[in-house]
Amino acid sequence: MMGILTSMLRKVLFNPLNETNKDQDHNHNEDKPEQNASADLQHILDQFKRSADLIHHRYPREGLDVIYFSHMINEDKLQRDLLPPLLAAPAADIILNEQSQFQQVQNAKDCVTGILSGNAAIFYNNVAYLADVTLPASRSVEESESESIINGPHEAFNENALTNLSLIRKRVRSSHLKVIHLSVGEISKTDCYVLYMEDIANEDYLSELIRRIKNVEIDAIHDTNMLLQCIDDNPYSMFPQYMTTERPDTIASKLVSGKIVCLVDGSPSLLSAPSSFFEFFASADDYYQRWAIGTATLFLRFMALVITVTFTALYVSITSFHYEMIPENLILTLTTSRSRVPFPPIIEALLMETTIELLREAGARLPTKIGQTIGIVGGIVIGQAAVQAGLTSNVLIISVASSAIASFVIPSYIMSAAFRLFRFGLICLAGLWGNLGLVIGIAYMVIHLSGLTSLGSSYLTPVAPFQPYDWRDVFFRFPFRLLNRRPTQNRAQNKTRQKMKR
Amino acid sequence: MTKLKEKLSFFHVMILTYMIQTGVVVFSITHLEALHFGTNGWLMALFTSLVVLVNLMLIAIVHRMSNGRSIFEILEKSIPKFILFPIYLGLAALWSMIGCLVAKEYVLIFQMYAFPTTSPMVFKVAIDILAFLLVIKGVYNISKASTVFFFSTIWMNLLVFKALDDIKLERLTTFLFKEGGDMFTGFLNIYIAYIGYELSLLLFPYVNKKTKLMKAVMYGHLIRTFFYLMLGIVSYGIAGHNLLKKMLFPLLDLLAYIKLPFIERVENLFYGFFLFTTLITLVMYYWAAGESTLRIFPKLKSSVHYFVIILCSLIVSTVPVALDQVLRVLYLLGCAQIVIAFLLPVILILLLLIQRRKVVKHG
Amino acid sequence: MKKAILCVILCFSLTASGCAADSRILEDLGMVQTTSYDLLPDGMLSITASIPMADPEASAKREVLTVVAENTKNGRIKMSRETQLILVSGQIRNALYGLSMAKKGIYRYMDTLIRDPSISPELKISIVEGNAGELLRKDYDQHPRTGKYIDHLLEKESSWQTIPRVTILSFLRDLFDDGIDPITPIIKDMGNSIKINGIALFQDDRYVAKIPADDTMIFAFLKGSFKEGEINVDLSENGDKKEYAMLSSLVSGRKLKVSYHNQQIKVRCEIKIMCSILEFLGDLEISNEQDRNKLERRISDKLTRKADSMIALLKQHKVDSLGLGSAVRNKIGYANWKKMNWREEFPHVEVENKIKVVIKDFGEVR
Repeated sequence: MMGILTSMLRKVLFNPLNETNKDQDHNHNEDKPEQNASADLQHILDQFKRSADLIHHRYPREGLDVIYFSHMINEDKLQRDLLPPLLAAPAADIILNEQSQFQQVQNAKDCVTGILSGNAAIFYNNVAYLADVTLPASRSVEESESESIINGPHEAFNENALTNLSLIRKRVRSSHLKVIHLSVGEISKTDCYVLYMEDIANEDYLSELIRRIKNVEIDAIHDTNMLLQCIDDNPYSMFPQYMTTERPDTIASKLVSGKIVCLVDGSPSLLSAPSSFFEFFASADDYYQRWAIGTATLFLRFMALVITVTFTALYVSITSFHYEMIPENLILTLTTSRSRVPFPPIIEALLMETTIELLREAGARLPTKIGQTIGIVGGIVIGQAAVQAGLTSNVLIISVASSAIASFVIPSYIMSAAFRLFRFGLICLAGLWGNLGLVIGIAYMVIHLSGLTSLGSSYLTPVAPFQPYDWRDVFFRFPFRLLNRRPTQNRAQNKTRQKMKR
Repeated sequence: MTKLKEKLSFFHVMILTYMIQTGVVVFSITHLEALHFGTNGWLMALFTSLVVLVNLMLIAIVHRMSNGRSIFEILEKSIPKFILFPIYLGLAALWSMIGCLVAKEYVLIFQMYAFPTTSPMVFKVAIDILAFLLVIKGVYNISKASTVFFFSTIWMNLLVFKALDDIKLERLTTFLFKEGGDMFTGFLNIYIAYIGYELSLLLFPYVNKKTKLMKAVMYGHLIRTFFYLMLGIVSYGIAGHNLLKKMLFPLLDLLAYIKLPFIERVENLFYGFFLFTTLITLVMYYWAAGESTLRIFPKLKSSVHYFVIILCSLIVSTVPVALDQVLRVLYLLGCAQIVIAFLLPVILILLLLIQRRKVVKHG
Repeated sequence: MKKAILCVILCFSLTASGCAADSRILEDLGMVQTTSYDLLPDGMLSITASIPMADPEASAKREVLTVVAENTKNGRIKMSRETQLILVSGQIRNALYGLSMAKKGIYRYMDTLIRDPSISPELKISIVEGNAGELLRKDYDQHPRTGKYIDHLLEKESSWQTIPRVTILSFLRDLFDDGIDPITPIIKDMGNSIKINGIALFQDDRYVAKIPADDTMIFAFLKGSFKEGEINVDLSENGDKKEYAMLSSLVSGRKLKVSYHNQQIKVRCEIKIMCSILEFLGDLEISNEQDRNKLERRISDKLTRKADSMIALLKQHKVDSLGLGSAVRNKIGYANWKKMNWREEFPHVEVENKIKVVIKDFGEVR
């Protein structure tokens, strides 16, 4: 009885979407003593003792008490639409019982939760009613900062789950788009929605993802990237195993390709699963360009990956062990610039790489205006002074700078960060064992990657398992008429994506 | 979490076969061809490949008759365990030693170029750690890694086109196998360049009907044959058989021949890439050794098996220190492996025939 | 588990960092760029190595070391006593051999160059007319680094076909091939500069004769097909007016036809040369088709005659530097080939040259 009531209550309070699944489990809410306490005014006020931001209006003549957090509700709506009829009516409880916007609450706990999630509590005759006038603090829908593109939609998700859901619904107008509501975090009780396309998404993946989210036991979840690390297959790995994005168009394309999307309230990034390693190198831009340009850009990105990973390591390896490999025209340049440097190449390289990382981190943490200063100062310090002071060779500067630039070509910041870290290991190995060290490092990475899975599917699809058809969309960007199937990794129920023959 | 028990696919078996076959002999195969067969010795790669195909046919018969049972099950059904276990141990020892010495040879060749005075065991241990990390992931993940390694090394074969201008066909001569040496040793040596395919005997439980195991192995072998032939023609066309007799590792000299605008002496770097193919070779031999010891001590965790195998072979591999010794031991082990590659399928066919008879009698 | 493995790797790498002895840090290396070998009258070797220097504080552009030693490796040890750098040979581009040594045979002094894996098979071999060490030690005012000067000179000239591009790999393969004899370019000190002075012909690894610099293009035509190059043909007969034709953008194709009848070997060498004519001094009007055809014929005749005399020169010294032997070998079968001694047979082989010149264009004016 209680369960049904609470679930009904939630439905109204949280105003979720129509298709919200009702089968969530509320029984594992801790049974606190006040659960059964009746929601009388004094009790509720006791609960919110020392809450300076709580507003308590008394209307002694009408016998009404209104309690709410002013910063969480739409006060206009409350004062103009809801309260006047109540105050005007001879007996407020008639209206309160009649109109569906007021919900009577039976126990104190629900009342407290209601107030905390942005409802106004109205007390009349010691009976509590909740009115949903939520207006959560949130940014408006803005341009994407971390995944900006040149062509195509610019809007990005914000921290409000409902806004995000509406952005998705706006793009995927299908009743097959299903939304399952879950909550994670023992204290924070963060709302979490799992989205999928019925009849396209694979049911095994869906149930596996839901099972994993339900099994999360943590005090609070503050961001999707945090949740993601609680539910991935290989928590010790350096590489992200689910793709996250803050672009509604990307999420919509992932949904229709049969992937499952997870949305966490309070986080602008959404995760899609299962993901493959190569997915992190694709950008929405590729699809809005002509196919040839998209393909060339993809090619550029994989080249950037190679540059990021190997350039500095190769410099270290060549200058400390394999001098034979330097072409004749370069050898004097290299020796000249190296001859004034007091450190061995490995120290020199680590020094410069660390400096670049410091610059990047400092630039990321500071406001844009100061960030620019950092850039200029860093550029001058690194580019000029270090060479002139004879602390580094200018060839190294070129290789460090180009590998740093290349690392930012990788669209996913998390993936590029993983490779930047991996690069340090590779530089150390190259400084230790030369080219063999470099190759050992790369071999280790491949071995590690081939052991990874994403929701149980191979992380290296479509290379291993070998899916040549998928290469059209992963290593190239074929014209759309040739991209007829959904990615194999998604194991979609309906594999055909388009039937257009043109 | 339920990991999907996936079977090896056709493509993966093909790549895996190619990668196991590509070991360290690839550096010296054209030298061996020239040394033992003289003029146009590269053709021997083709003839030997045909013999391998015969061997593959035997394995294919076993595969068809076994109905997907592992060869160990077949053996254990007819032969008592106390006879089999020493044989298993012997096989494991042979296989792990092959794997280990392949790595050792790789390291010793590398040390000709760089780190000449560092202990080879430093590199050997590093490679063995990699091998251990890979082998504990199981054969499915090995095949995945080998696919990635395949794509990161196969393009090197295209580099021969850089040398196309210098190939002169008249250097190939019109004579067949003249001015050669001991042809039988030569044949064995070239056969050893192909071994690795026989490990497909152990793959029976890891494939299903859809894999078309033997076809995949055959294709993998044919890719290897093709590239051996290409390498042969290019080496003979550039250096001629008389010079090839002098070069111990013609492939490396061939790579050194290639000059890129931003980098020279690419063999220094590309030799590193051959670590990938070598790694798969040794991992698969370690894996095979582990498969057979697992039959003896099935209770122990497989990672313990591999650890012990790799550790033991590492200790044994400290004994040969000179490149020449390693080559000689590897040659002997290779010959033993050739014998096994033929003998094992024959024994299995006989056993299967007997077992089938029994079933018919009892039925 | 994984942490344990990482720990192992880490500990391992820490212990292994003791392998610093094997490091070859760039600025500590003396990278020999060119090395030269001379044979002294007493049988000792005089070895000179030129090492380009990049020290901005030093005025010298290179370091030149000369030692006298009984063998090459010992020379290296003696040499390194004179320098603060670690001498390495991975960047050697040129090996110069003095004529004194080339006459005695150079293979035994090449052994170290082949055996050392750090030395590139692309190392260029050349013969110095005179003393190789002196040439290498000398500084040429207009060319700051003598070693690099020689290298670029050889590289450029070989791309214009005046000399063959001879690397250690190509030298050795010709040396070991029984159907061809090796060759190298010859360079000579001219006081203020270095000059390409022809092609050295080797019998096995011994220098026996040379082709003068003016005839090297004829040798190139006979040696094989190529693209790019130019030649000046002197058409004047004795007593006549001077007539010259300058042919450029050469595209030459060589075909060898071997016939074998009654133990008699006959080689027919057909060469077709496409060219453009950029300069002509003489009576003929090259824009006139008839005259041009006449010119083509005259040039062809002239070149054929020159080719004949070149073959005669080769026959005289019993060197088959053109590789006619390998064509013969492939024609006559293994048994016949082994039966005869090609070196002795070569002077008796009838070689017929046929050079045909085609003028593609004759410039922008009529």
